[in-house]
Amino acid sequence: MSIGVAEAVATGQMSGRVWMYSNYHCNLACSYCLTESAPKVPARLLDAQRMRRVVHEAAELGFTGIGITGGEPFLLRELPGLLAEFGQILPVVVLTNATLFSPGLLRRMAPLAELPVRVQISLDRPDPVANDEMRGPENFRNVVEAIPRLVELGIGVRIATTLEHDEIRRGPTDDHERLCALHRQLGVSDDDHVIRPIVARGRALSQGMGVTATRDDLEPELTITNDGAFWNPFAPTVVDGRLDTDLLLTRTTTPLRTPAAAMLRLISGRPAGTDSTLGIR
Amino acid sequence: MTTVALLDSARAPLTAQPYYEQGDPGPIVAALAHVPEVLDVALPFIGTLLGESAIDLRTKELVILRTSALLECRYCVQTHTVVARDAAVSLHQVRALRCEISLKEAFDDLRDQALLAWVDAVALGPGTPAETAAATLAEQFCDADIVELTLLVGATLMLNRFATSLGLPTSAATLQRLATEGLT
Repeated sequence: MSIGVAEAVATGQMSGRVWMYSNYHCNLACSYCLTESAPKVPARLLDAQRMRRVVHEAAELGFTGIGITGGEPFLLRELPGLLAEFGQILPVVVLTNATLFSPGLLRRMAPLAELPVRVQISLDRPDPVANDEMRGPENFRNVVEAIPRLVELGIGVRIATTLEHDEIRRGPTDDHERLCALHRQLGVSDDDHVIRPIVARGRALSQGMGVTATRDDLEPELTITNDGAFWNPFAPTVVDGRLDTDLLLTRTTTPLRTPAAAMLRLISGRPAGTDSTLGIR
Repeated sequence: MTTVALLDSARAPLTAQPYYEQGDPGPIVAALAHVPEVLDVALPFIGTLLGESAIDLRTKELVILRTSALLECRYCVQTHTVVARDAAVSLHQVRALRCEISLKEAFDDLRDQALLAWVDAVALGPGTPAETAAATLAEQFCDADIVELTLLVGATLMLNRFATSLGLPTSAATLQRLATEGLT
């Protein structure tokens, strides 16, 4: 490879974070889900050994962080332990719908407070009715209950809001202001609130929602799944049960240097920030 | 019916896209695109072996078509019948390579005969080809040619089994051309 991962990350040509889809199944079935995740879909599990190997090799190659997404990662009972392992190697962010944080799970997550492990929780609307319309019954209540408990444990929390692109472009609305007031009240600062557009892939595409995002709209952000390595976490999407392969890099996931080399070849000569058109990061 | 989906340009992985820039890359690429890192090494290998090199294309097509016929690979026989005709292999010789008539009827050149005897021995195996076949070949070809031609038989065997096992479809243009020439 002409340049290494560390250099490409340092110059902003690619993200320093390696994402892993730990699983594709989920206890919810959100209307805009990229991966058609739901309780009964194939789990497409990335087994623990594979995840460990990815994290170790990511650190060796010069990546600077790990992201875990799904599906709902916390459906995996071993996840808190894995997060603790990974957090000792690289900073970790884990995406969740925050509906599974029972007292027992929170107890097992307590050690994460000592580590660079953050939890990113989806919350789209400041009202239960509007929020749960897209995300499912009781989602809002579960989230607003879970966030303070995580904050109280000392675990870093980020809020991710996913909206139609046009709504984001129109600028802050009353809904937005109320959502921000809510997350502040829950103990999450403005710096830890990200707003992203719905992308027209997966179930969103089937539902006629979202903005079209091509490779050039998406940050090069190596993403590992049970099916292969992809350009970005928005890439390994599922439509009508079939995995999209248009943004596949390699079927090989480990050794991680194989997909990393494919990524480096593709970004060669690509200016940093090329992906910023939609603000999807 | 193909065993796997053949990826069109819209579904082809990022790393396979260069193979689609000139249009439909054919079913071998469209199947290999499922594993782009394999495609990336297989295509240059196949292209180097099957394409123009120190050995002329006619000689290579004798090897490819004969091997494919012995392996009964419908896709490769149909496709390389057309390629062989374009490489100046006569219709009579094509029929012989396809096992429709005997090789002796169609090939009177000693070099061709030595090569085809070698191809039959290598492709049909098992075990080491007869010493007589090797000796006759060595009278007509240098060591470098023998290496390349033997590897070409091996690569063709691989492609034969790949295309046959996955049921790769012959292109409409090839079928039309075969019909025009009275072949199938």
